[in-house]
Amino acid sequence: MFGWKSKNQKRLEKALSLHPKGQLKNFLMTPLADQNRSAEHIDYFVIDFETTGLDYKKDHIISMGFTTIKNGRIQLQHSQHHLVKTDKKLQSDNVSIHQITDDAVSHGITVKTMMNLLLQNLSGKVMVAHYKNIEENFIQSISETLYGHKLPLLVVDTLNIERRIRQKLNQPIYSNQLRLFNLREHYHLPRYHAHNALEDAIATAELLLAQISHRQRQGYQVKLKDILS
Amino acid sequence: MEIEQLEIYDFLRTCHPLNKLDTTQLTSLALGIEISYKPRNAVVLQPGNQNQWLYLIRSGAVTRTDHQDGLVAQFGEGDFFGHKAIERNGLIKNKVTCLEDSLFYLIPEAIYQDLMKQSESFRNYFSQQKNQRLKSALSELTTNNENILIKSRVADFLHHKPLTIAPTTSIKATAQLMLKKNQTAVLITEDNQIKGIVTDRVFCTKVTANEMNINQSVDMVMTANPVCISPQQTGLEAMLQMTRLNIRHLPVVQDGKLLGMLTATDLIHHQSHNPIYLVNAIHKADSLEEIEQLSQQLPTALCKLVDAGLNANDIAYSISSIGRAIMQKVIKLAIGNLGEPPIEYAFVIAGSLARNDQTAHSDQDNGLLLSDEFDEARHGDYFKQLAQFVSDSLSRCGYVYCPGDVMATNDKWRQPIKIWTSYFNRWINTPEPKALMYSSIFFDMRCIYGSQPLFDQLHKKVHKLINENRMFLAFMAANAQQNRPPIGLFRRFVLEKHGAENKSLDIKKRGIMPCTDIARVFALDSGTEVINTQDRLKSAHQAGIISAEAAEDLADSHEFLSMVRLQHQVKNIKKGQEANNYVDPNELSSLERRHLKDAFELISTYQEVLSKKYNQGQM
Repeated sequence: MFGWKSKNQKRLEKALSLHPKGQLKNFLMTPLADQNRSAEHIDYFVIDFETTGLDYKKDHIISMGFTTIKNGRIQLQHSQHHLVKTDKKLQSDNVSIHQITDDAVSHGITVKTMMNLLLQNLSGKVMVAHYKNIEENFIQSISETLYGHKLPLLVVDTLNIERRIRQKLNQPIYSNQLRLFNLREHYHLPRYHAHNALEDAIATAELLLAQISHRQRQGYQVKLKDILS
Repeated sequence: MEIEQLEIYDFLRTCHPLNKLDTTQLTSLALGIEISYKPRNAVVLQPGNQNQWLYLIRSGAVTRTDHQDGLVAQFGEGDFFGHKAIERNGLIKNKVTCLEDSLFYLIPEAIYQDLMKQSESFRNYFSQQKNQRLKSALSELTTNNENILIKSRVADFLHHKPLTIAPTTSIKATAQLMLKKNQTAVLITEDNQIKGIVTDRVFCTKVTANEMNINQSVDMVMTANPVCISPQQTGLEAMLQMTRLNIRHLPVVQDGKLLGMLTATDLIHHQSHNPIYLVNAIHKADSLEEIEQLSQQLPTALCKLVDAGLNANDIAYSISSIGRAIMQKVIKLAIGNLGEPPIEYAFVIAGSLARNDQTAHSDQDNGLLLSDEFDEARHGDYFKQLAQFVSDSLSRCGYVYCPGDVMATNDKWRQPIKIWTSYFNRWINTPEPKALMYSSIFFDMRCIYGSQPLFDQLHKKVHKLINENRMFLAFMAANAQQNRPPIGLFRRFVLEKHGAENKSLDIKKRGIMPCTDIARVFALDSGTEVINTQDRLKSAHQAGIISAEAAEDLADSHEFLSMVRLQHQVKNIKKGQEANNYVDPNELSSLERRHLKDAFELISTYQEVLSKKYNQGQM
């Protein structure tokens, strides 16, 4: 964990050496959350991307949805959904999943605007995603392209939280079991039908609340470091 | 963010009273929502703490313990709580705990307060007590008769071509034609144009009074250019027109073309919705086959009554009238076959038919009361055959045999007065469970055929017995506690499995019966002889046994539950199913579930009242 902490420290130092401006500077100057604080009282930024594929080198973000958690409650007021402009033609199978067409995407915001929004809202909060690899990889890769460095980030992965519990209990893990919708069912969360980045972000946020409160109930004082990836 | 596109918004729109808000109000409410999750057994509201949210349960369930009476209420998906604390400046008095893992939508106090000011339905929902809520629900459920006429169109009443004649027809020929065609009015037309109208009254007021020559042409006595009505006008307009002009016939005309004739009788027929005509037809019938056929119209008649928005008590009364007519006719036919009974007797009905509380799903509860001259050897066979014929015929007409065998075909319930008296004597003085069951059946008893004085004789004895034995009321009160209404949720833990049915709520057993049982005890206490549940409650109040509020609460609960049952049966019937009492909570709207919950909680409260009033230190 020490090495992991220093990774963020290194990223911060590199970023500051490049004389950041505007939203990025503001983001870098806001300290990361204290990992020893109770996980209940942390502010979270829960994000979901819909992308053209899983490879951050080749694929593009089609849309971004995010919501925030404050005082253990999801704030609908601070939720946003944006389509993101991309040059790449959408593949038909993705279009059918997300029901987003080329035409709609061409009206979206640019990747640069998207990053500005992200930095503004993520600042001071812990990022949350279900299967963080997609979101984290895309964000870091864009950051390197735009700013020349990766971002110092604390990330919670709701899928990882679950995987670790099952590993600890020596339970076998079936791949489908850890999908967002199956996990929600496990915590008796209502079924969602829609498939849109904001809907998924809210679904992930609700899952995180359930995961924290269930661990809390078992007598642990869950700290941020216990759930970080 | 377009909140309207989220599923959350769809969910909010299904929740009463949020569905009564306009789009702007609902959108700002949705945007203000914060979402929280609590696991099972977690305390959501802790007495003494502060609450600043209106909670809406998105999924899961909670239980609330009332700090005053300790009554426990449960709430599930789509239910609200927390507003009472807001109204107390945030002070929490009732503890709310999660029964299941639950997801809540939290609506900030500020939005709650705004909506209390802005929206009347929101205000009504959150400020009313449960008995008031039930009352407003009832007034929404039932509409009065004028409304039915408002909804109807003159076109709906047109069934036959009116009688038309030429102006040159003689008065005599006109009268003969009307007699032959059995019509009360005839229209005088020329070139397809209405020239005038002649009704049967004319023959009295003009022809006879003025001693006219009946060979004159009819245009001498017709009312020229009669007032007409168009098929698009409502039944109510037609009614008003007739009342204002003191006429009973209105030709229906569209684009100068005569379409038909509307009579006052047509409107009355429509108002009274067939049952009366069904009863008349049953009385006129002269074979069992005919009665059996007529009895098949009962489900349709029920649907019509419910669709017309009449209240449940009136509907049950109409359906019971049909039930009584069928039974009377069947007994008459039996006597026609078997000959006059050799001794004085009274055929009695018990249970729902006696209470005038019958619906589409009813079984037979009956018995035969015989004079003490009864001699088994001489009269036994006759009455046995009579009972068998009646019971079998009723079964053919859709009234299933009583599963508890409470029928005159059972030797036990075909006895002379002295035996019946000994039954009641035993039930009242040594009440054991079976006795109490019979008591609750036979205290709701009417004479349907035969000697009323014979029946009254027994009736008087029974009431004297009850008055002499107050202890019996305690047993009846305890018996009335047997069927407990479900408090709170209509979900898996309160639902029962019923044979072929999926898990569902037995609304008769869990709601209507407890209410009927309570009313019976109060009625027995007050000494009234009325049997109908609504009437019993009224009488018990008049006798000073219960408060006006109690009578009203119970009457409203009974009415509401009966209405829900009737509407459920109409759904059964329209789907081509057998009508039953098993309501699937999913077929109810969230508002109906809420009202159902109010009714159940009220009944439960009065069960407690009953228990305190009669059972203190006695059981």
